[in-house]
Amino acid sequence: MGFSEFISDTLGSILKKVEPGISTLPDRVAGSSVASSGQEPALPAHWESQAGARLASVRPIKVIRPPAFSIRTVFGGLQTLVQYSDLLWILSLFRLKVRYKQSALGWVWAALQPLALMSIYTILFTRVTKVATGGIPYPLFVLCALLPWIFFSSSISNAVHGLVLYPSLLTKMYFPREIIPLSYLAAGFADFLIGSLILGGFIAHYRVSLTWNLLFAIPLVLVLASFAAAIALFFSAIQVRFRDVGLAMPLLLQVWMFTIPVVYSIESVPVRFRKLYLLDPIAGLIENFRTVVLRGAKPDLASLAISAAIAFAGLVVAYAYFKSSEATMADVI
Amino acid sequence: MIDIKLDRVSKQYRLRTTGNSRRRWYSGAFRKRSSGMWALRDVSFQVQQGEALGIVGHNGAGKTTILRILSSITTPTEGEITVRGRLAALVDVSSGFHPELTGRENIDLHGAMLGMRRSEIRNKLESIIEFSGVGQYIDVPVKRYSSGMHVRLGFSIAAHLEPDILLLDEVLAVGDAAFQAKCLDRIAELRKAGRTIVFISHDLAAVYRLCDRALLLNHGRVVADGPPRQVIDEYQQMTFGNDATPGEIGTEPTAAAQCTSISFLSGDSNDGIRTGYPMVARLGYRARQTIPGAVFRISIYWPSGYLCAQLTTESSHGGVDLEPGEGRIEFQCPVLPVVPGLYRVDLSIELNGQEIDARQRCATLHVGPGISVSGDFYIENSWKLTGGTSSEGSNRQYH
Repeated sequence: MGFSEFISDTLGSILKKVEPGISTLPDRVAGSSVASSGQEPALPAHWESQAGARLASVRPIKVIRPPAFSIRTVFGGLQTLVQYSDLLWILSLFRLKVRYKQSALGWVWAALQPLALMSIYTILFTRVTKVATGGIPYPLFVLCALLPWIFFSSSISNAVHGLVLYPSLLTKMYFPREIIPLSYLAAGFADFLIGSLILGGFIAHYRVSLTWNLLFAIPLVLVLASFAAAIALFFSAIQVRFRDVGLAMPLLLQVWMFTIPVVYSIESVPVRFRKLYLLDPIAGLIENFRTVVLRGAKPDLASLAISAAIAFAGLVVAYAYFKSSEATMADVI
Repeated sequence: MIDIKLDRVSKQYRLRTTGNSRRRWYSGAFRKRSSGMWALRDVSFQVQQGEALGIVGHNGAGKTTILRILSSITTPTEGEITVRGRLAALVDVSSGFHPELTGRENIDLHGAMLGMRRSEIRNKLESIIEFSGVGQYIDVPVKRYSSGMHVRLGFSIAAHLEPDILLLDEVLAVGDAAFQAKCLDRIAELRKAGRTIVFISHDLAAVYRLCDRALLLNHGRVVADGPPRQVIDEYQQMTFGNDATPGEIGTEPTAAAQCTSISFLSGDSNDGIRTGYPMVARLGYRARQTIPGAVFRISIYWPSGYLCAQLTTESSHGGVDLEPGEGRIEFQCPVLPVVPGLYRVDLSIELNGQEIDARQRCATLHVGPGISVSGDFYIENSWKLTGGTSSEGSNRQYH
């Protein structure tokens, strides 16, 4: 019979009448409930072969429904994210590669930014005016705070623009969208590691003795990364709808930097404001980072706990918000 | 087994104007809007495992929206969709490429976006490069690629996915003829391997060739569902109107000669025009002056737009001599060989190779079922068994 064969004659006519009164819409910002069950079958190397075997294998069943926020959306999202973990890895690597392609200095740029800022702040705050550093040489004092701050701020500002940079990716392909902002975060972390090597050089130069308290830097950076992820996810989801976020971001970050102890010490903040001051997770994290690296002391655990609590809670909320807004991202971008 | 099931799916897009209305962000963002455009309305259908479904329809009929919903790019506003199996969408194949990265790096990136694992990509890398035919440029940034190379590489990656369900949207519209043929082969191969395919295209010939079944969408609703040929006919009918044989054709007074009417008649009975039976085409004209050696031409087009056949006076001693006034020319076709369907018809009168009147898509020819045929044409034949018991016949006797 050839092509005109009607394989699916068992299927009835599907012309259906519209029912009146189904014009009520789900809330515009709501998650898609995509439930996934079953495991991805192991795939043979060649599609031509083993077709029969594959047909018999278990296939995942996916049900797509209108967006409705539920906690399962979030867990389902995490599950998909794990499935796509290779994409996150590849994309993060490529962020680094692409950034320094066709640039003569290449990776040196990763080091230049903190070094240049360090120099200008050193001149400002040792020659023009003085800042109390508690005996720490100022270049070291400021570089140690600049590195985590640059990690935080550049990750966020890149991530916020990331989603809208290539709209066709959002409208033509599906993958968990959070991978885009998260890949900028990962690239920012790579820069942070490069910066840390330079910091190590300065530490050696100034003969600062390190202690075991340095290990506290690991949880500190982890909390910092979580908070950066929370901010990046939240604002990049809004940016898809309102480009105002991207426009406001540079200003916000600039102001933010001077509200936290990067160029000055927390000692300069009046004691009665300090509790309030440390509610900003970044402020506490940066001061603690400086404490464990340069002073060799234990971090202020209370402030670390506050930072961690805010960062992790923020991450959960931001992720949930991101996933629920993801459902209609392709429509509104 | 049913691989894809859509149950009363609707999708509404909000047509937000991004103009410079200053009230936009506080009034528009927080107030629930009721206005919007329904891209899909109560669409329900099922796709069986191993079936190739074609979706046709005008621009904006909702074809791409179905694909987007199926591939989770966006979500439905109402209804429920069940998808059984790993699904991959081939939508504008090169959209995931990063211009600064090399072809090889883009294979990694694009493959991962399509849901492949790194190990899977590594295993198939050589095969992907070979299929794409960009071999020697694989380590060059893709921004230096030609658009054809983009598409070939993109399709090659996607063609190496091993989805249970493959969604294709206009992928064949790009690439040269040789690559298109390669793609069609690959898709046919997939079909043979039992994969389910949903194919969206304006290339009706490709839909007809690839699909077992087709859907016709119009303004977000399914208006036809059935064998590709039937659905494509219906689509054509929707596009060009229901006139099987229009009589009068509007006239332009300036031309030296013009076609005034066209009609197709059954040659032998009142059963209408049917495959394998006689047909008469009657073309009316009006000449304003004496025209020596005029050539009449009736061009019959497939639903896909390709030329199917022509009836012309050209071969008979260099045309006909027209006298001023009205006249009629009749083409007698003893056996109509084309298969049932709706054909578009162009008319023209030519003089020395120059058109003096041309009417495009001015009529349709509706061919009904007569002798049943597979393929595109009925070939008049008789048959005889030689050797063994002698037997002979003509297929005409069986119909």
